[in-house]
Amino acid sequence: MADSLSPQCTPLKHEYDSCFNVWFEEYLEPALATNATEAQRTAHYQRKAEEFQAKCGKVYAEYQNCIQNAVKQKGIEPLLQQAREEHPLREPLPPAVPSSKDSK
Amino acid sequence: MKFFSQSYSYDDPWSIVTLAFFLRYPNPYASHVLSCDVISRSVTPSGSLMTTRLILKRGAMPRWFPKGIVSRAESWVVEETEVDPVGRTVRCQTRNLDHVKVMQVQETVEFRSTPEGKTLQLTEARILSGFGWGLTRRIETHGLNKFKANLQRVRFHFMILSTFLTPVYSLVKAFLSSSSSCDNPDCSQWLLGSPQDTPVSVNLPAQPTIAEHKTSTGTDAEAYSTMPRAQNSWSRLKAWLRPPPRAD
Repeated sequence: MADSLSPQCTPLKHEYDSCFNVWFEEYLEPALATNATEAQRTAHYQRKAEEFQAKCGKVYAEYQNCIQNAVKQKGIEPLLQQAREEHPLREPLPPAVPSSKDSK
Repeated sequence: MKFFSQSYSYDDPWSIVTLAFFLRYPNPYASHVLSCDVISRSVTPSGSLMTTRLILKRGAMPRWFPKGIVSRAESWVVEETEVDPVGRTVRCQTRNLDHVKVMQVQETVEFRSTPEGKTLQLTEARILSGFGWGLTRRIETHGLNKFKANLQRVRFHFMILSTFLTPVYSLVKAFLSSSSSCDNPDCSQWLLGSPQDTPVSVNLPAQPTIAEHKTSTGTDAEAYSTMPRAQNSWSRLKAWLRPPPRAD
């Protein structure tokens, strides 16, 4: 796990990363049948989100508290703010794979 | 502006590649990464995990670059990632926040699960310099070359990572890719590059091919439902990445 930009936040960051990584590995595993309904999926990932909150929520909040302060102190907040306003992933990306299969 | 696009196929299932992608810092091939922080993370109602990371990278200016213009060869990079576990897709956009006048690098990476249970990676990069002084093109070319070299390093690291992450999968993998004639456990970790179409079923290491156009591939897989859980991959990896656990 890489260090935090602020040495003070690094212990919290490592603690958070460890927690997240365990959760993330489970999150990635396909837990639903391919024919699961929309509602089942929503419920499943709702549960996953709650699970994350229960397991890692506290350390995440502490880490965020630390890191947000550090970001302010380093003066990178305006840059970041600007970048996040442009938030590239809020809008769907142009498909990297053309939908028309022309070379099969 | 320089545009770069490349597709690459990993033999490993999507969840392993995604895990490796998230765990790629720190690693011996990315010593230029000084810090990496999650500054926002949430799960959307549809189940996607949205992450914003702030990364500090150390760079080295090329020798021919005028002195005194860039005071510190460090750059803040913001990385926005969406993991869609239902569609088995990762989308990631990365760009530098500072020194943008000298060079702006915007990278888009996608990982998709293929019907064969492998993973297709699509990388796109736009490298743009507004520097002028007759150096614009040179800077962009330099940036592009660095980008390509870095891709190779990242990929090599991925192979190592997936070696750590995959042992549990090996049996299932043998089952899934019955066309595989590769008995050597290392062999199956090798990646194969396929220039512009769906991954082919050969287990030979191959050079990635740079495609100047976009790639065409099959639609997303349903095959993932047969994937098993990778127990304790993280702990194995952790032991490797960070020998002693912190004492506090």
